[in-house]
Amino acid sequence: MPPVFPMLTVLTMFYYICLRRRARTATRGEMMNSRRTIESNSRTLPINSEVVQYAKEVLDFSSHYGSENSMSYTMWNLAGIPNVYPSSGDFTQAAVFRTYGTWWNQCPSAPLPFRRTPQNFQSQDYVELAFEEPVYPTAVHVLETYHPGAVIRILACSANPYSPNPPAEVRWEILWSERPTKVNTSQARQFKPCIKQINFPSNLIRLEVNSTLLDYYTELDAVVLHGVKDRPVLSLKTSLIGMNDLDEEDYEEKDVCGMEVLCKQFNNATLREWTNNGYFDKLPYELIQLILSHLTLPDLCRLAQTCKLLYQHCCDPLQYTHLNLQPYWAKLNDTSLEYLQSRCTLVQWLNLSWTGNRGFISVSGFGRFLKVCGSELVRLELACGHFLNETCLEVISEMCPNLQELNLSSCDKLSPQAFNHIAKLCGLKRLVLYRTKVEQTSLLSILNFCSELQHLSLGSCVMIEDYDVIASMIGTKCKKLRTLDLWRCKNITENGIAELASGCQLLEELDLGWCPTLQSSTGCFANLARKLPNLQKLFLTANRSVCDTDIEELANNCSRLQQLDILGTRMVSPASLRKLLESCKNLSLLDVSFCSQIDNRVVLELNASFPNVFIKKSFTQ
Amino acid sequence: MFSVLSYGRLVARAVLGGLSQTDPRAGGGGGGDYGLVTAGCGFGKDFRKGLLKKGVCYGDDACFVARHRSADVLGVADGVGGWRDYGVDPSQFSGTLMRTCERLVKEGRFIPSNPVGILTTSYCELLQNKIPLLGSSTACIVVLDRTSHRLHTANLGDSGFLVVRGGEVVHRSDEQQHYFNTPFQLSIAPPEAEGVVLSDSPDAADSTSFDVQLGDIILTATDGLFDNMPDYMILQELKKLKNSNYESIQQTARSIAEQAHELAYDPNYMSPFAQFACDNGLNVRGGKPDDITVLLSIVAEYTD
Repeated sequence: MPPVFPMLTVLTMFYYICLRRRARTATRGEMMNSRRTIESNSRTLPINSEVVQYAKEVLDFSSHYGSENSMSYTMWNLAGIPNVYPSSGDFTQAAVFRTYGTWWNQCPSAPLPFRRTPQNFQSQDYVELAFEEPVYPTAVHVLETYHPGAVIRILACSANPYSPNPPAEVRWEILWSERPTKVNTSQARQFKPCIKQINFPSNLIRLEVNSTLLDYYTELDAVVLHGVKDRPVLSLKTSLIGMNDLDEEDYEEKDVCGMEVLCKQFNNATLREWTNNGYFDKLPYELIQLILSHLTLPDLCRLAQTCKLLYQHCCDPLQYTHLNLQPYWAKLNDTSLEYLQSRCTLVQWLNLSWTGNRGFISVSGFGRFLKVCGSELVRLELACGHFLNETCLEVISEMCPNLQELNLSSCDKLSPQAFNHIAKLCGLKRLVLYRTKVEQTSLLSILNFCSELQHLSLGSCVMIEDYDVIASMIGTKCKKLRTLDLWRCKNITENGIAELASGCQLLEELDLGWCPTLQSSTGCFANLARKLPNLQKLFLTANRSVCDTDIEELANNCSRLQQLDILGTRMVSPASLRKLLESCKNLSLLDVSFCSQIDNRVVLELNASFPNVFIKKSFTQ
Repeated sequence: MFSVLSYGRLVARAVLGGLSQTDPRAGGGGGGDYGLVTAGCGFGKDFRKGLLKKGVCYGDDACFVARHRSADVLGVADGVGGWRDYGVDPSQFSGTLMRTCERLVKEGRFIPSNPVGILTTSYCELLQNKIPLLGSSTACIVVLDRTSHRLHTANLGDSGFLVVRGGEVVHRSDEQQHYFNTPFQLSIAPPEAEGVVLSDSPDAADSTSFDVQLGDIILTATDGLFDNMPDYMILQELKKLKNSNYESIQQTARSIAEQAHELAYDPNYMSPFAQFACDNGLNVRGGKPDDITVLLSIVAEYTD
C-alpha cells in the first residue's frame, strides 16, 4: 500500500494539471462568448461615452532642450492643445528632449553601459503627463511634429495626481511598448499605437522615448488621451487584440513586473535536501558564475528558487557588482531593496535612476541599503530621484568613501543645501548636476575639494549667480577635467572662458550651447581653439556671434574635432566651413541649422565633398 | 488688401455711451465681468497681402487679440522698417513678438495687472528661438481684467491707444520717443551692431491702469493711424458707431483704417505727423505713408 500513494499523488497531480489546462482554454472561449453577450446586452444600458482630453499638466521629465525659465522647446509645451500640428518642422512651441541619435554615446563624457541591462529596456528619457479626469484608456495619440518615432513605451499609473489623498497602492501598467524602429520621415504624424486595456482608471500617462535612431531632435506637440469613465466591457475586437497581446504581456512581465520576484521572500528551509547536484558538482564554481552572469536580474532571482546550489550561486555578491535597477523603476521599492541588500555588499556600480518616486523608496530605506552596500560603491546613478533629500546625500557622502561617479541629473526637487555634502566625496571623477538647484557656494566647495574631477555637467543649473567665478575655480582646481557641460549657463563671459582654457588643458569636450553672454568679438572662441587642441566636441549652439574667424581657428588648431554645433549664427560662410571640414578629418557631426549663410544647396555640396560627415540643417516651415 | 480680425463669438449687449449700466448678474460689489468685443483692420504700406499664415500682419505691423479666463488682451507692434537694409524682413520681429504674446495669454502665463510682464517675457522668448531673429519693434499691450474692470496697459514707443467715453477721450497712452520719428523700441541687433542699434528694455514701457465702464471704446493702433488722423477725426468716425455688435465694430474699424490710409497718401493734407515735423523745424507736408493697424474694442458684459 505505502508505495502506491506517491504514485497516486503524482498521477493525480498530472491529471489535475491537464484538467486545468483544458479548463483554462475553455474559459478563454467562454469568456469571449460571454463578453459578446454582455456587449449585446449593454446596448440597452446607457452608453459609456468616450472622454477625449489633452494633457493638463506636465508633472515630471528627465531632460529637455529648452531653458528652465522659458517656454521655448521645453517639455511643458506638451500640455494643452496642439500648437504646431499638423505643421512639420522645428518650432519653439514643441516639446524637445535634450539629445538624439548616438552622438552623446560617442563623446568622451559618455558613461559606460551597465552589465546585465535587459535587452528590452531601451528607454532614455521620459515625460509624465497629468490629465483632468481619470479614465480607462482606450487610445493614446501622440502628435509628433518633427522627426517622429522616438516614443517606445507608454505607461499608465493608478495614482491620481489631483487626488487630495495619497493612494494606498501605486501601480504602473504598460499600455504599449515597442523596440526603437526607424521612421523614414521627418514630417508630422499623429501616432496612434494600439494600446492594451487596463483594469484601473488613470489620468497619469508616461511616455518613454529612445532617440538613437533619429536623425535629429524629435519634437512632440501634444498628447491626447481617449478613455471611458466606467470600466469598459471588452468588445470582440479589443478582446482579440488583448489575446494577441497576452504573449507580449508574459514577455513584459518578465522584465517590469519581474521585480515582484525580488519582493517574494522564500524560505531556504523549504528547499529539499539533496545529496548531490549531478553534473553541476563537476562544473567549476567560476564557470557557473560566468554562466549566471548572462542572466537578467529577475531571472537570477527566479533561478535562486530552484535549488540550494544555484541559490548559493545566485546570492554570491560577485554577481551583483553591477546593479542596474533603472529598468525596474515601476516596481522597485523599499522591500525589494531590503531583499537585495544582503547579496549586494560588493556592489560597485549602482543605477537607481528613475526609481523610488511616488513613495516607492523612502529616505530610510535608501539609507539602510547604502549602509550595507555603499562601501565598495564607485558609481551611483540617481537621475530623476525625487525621493532624495539632504539626508540621502549625507548618507551617500558618509557611506560611499570610494565613490567616483555621481549622477543627480534632473533631481530638481533636491534642496540647494543638500549639495554641500558632495564636497566630502573627494574621489569624484564624474559629477552630473544637470537641471539641479545647486548653488554657487556649494558648487565652489565641491570644486575645491574634488580635484580629481574629469567629467562635470552643470547644464541648466539656474541657481548659480556667477558662472565666471565657477569657471575660474574649475580652471584653478580641476586640472584633470576632460569634459565640461555648461549648456544654458546664463552669464559666463570671456573672462571665465579664458581661465577655463588656460587651467583645463586636457578638455576634450565643451558644451557652451545657449550661453548668450559670450561674444566672439572678445576673442573667447579663438582663445579656446588655440588653448585646447584636444577638443573633440564643441557646442556653440545659438551663439549669434560665432563667425568665420572662430571656424578658421578651430580648423587650424583642433584637428581632433568630431562634433561641432554652431546652430543659429548669421556670420559663418560656406568657405570657412569647407576649410574646417578639410582640416578636421575626424569630424562626424556638424550642426549648421538656422545659419543664414548656409542654405540647403551649400549643405548638399558639402555633403557631396565630405560624405562621412553628418551635416545637420533643421528647418521651420 | 485689407483684412479683418475675426474675433470672438462674444455677443455684446452693452449699450453705447454708458446709457445702460445695469447689470442683471450684479451680485455684490462691482457687478458682473466685463469683456472686450474687438475687431481689427489694417493696411500694409506697399499693398502687400495683409493676412499672413501665422498671426496677423499688415506690412511691418503686427497685432493679436487673445483671451483667457481672467482677461482680454490685445496688442499691436510696429516693426522698424530700417532693417530691410540688412536684408531682414521687419515684420518677422513684430510678428513673432505678437504671436508670442498671444501664446502667453492663451496659456495663462501672465498677470493681468502686469502688462509689462507680457512684453518682457515675450521679448525673452524671442531670444530663446533657434532662429537668429533680428529687428526691432514698438509695442502696445492692452489688458482688460474681467473682474476688477480695470484696463492695464503697457506702451513702448509711438504706437498707442485711446479710451473714448461719451464721445470724449478720457484716457490715452503717452508717446515715447528718443527724438523726432525715433520711438522707443525693443530690438535684437546683430552682434557687430550691438550698442549701435537703439534698444530699449521692455521695462522702459510706460504702464498705466484705468477703470473702464460698459460701453467704453478702446482704440489701439500703430503710429500709421495717429500720424495721419488727428483725434477729432477719429472721434467723428467713432460717433458713427451706434451698435456694439461685432459687425458694426468691424465696419467702423475698417472705415477708420481706410480713411487713415487715404490721408496717408494725400500730398496736400497737413497730417499730425507733418505738423509735428514742422514743429521740429522740418518743412514737410502731406500724409505719412506707413503701415496702419487698428484694433477697435468695446467694453461689454462678458458672456462666455
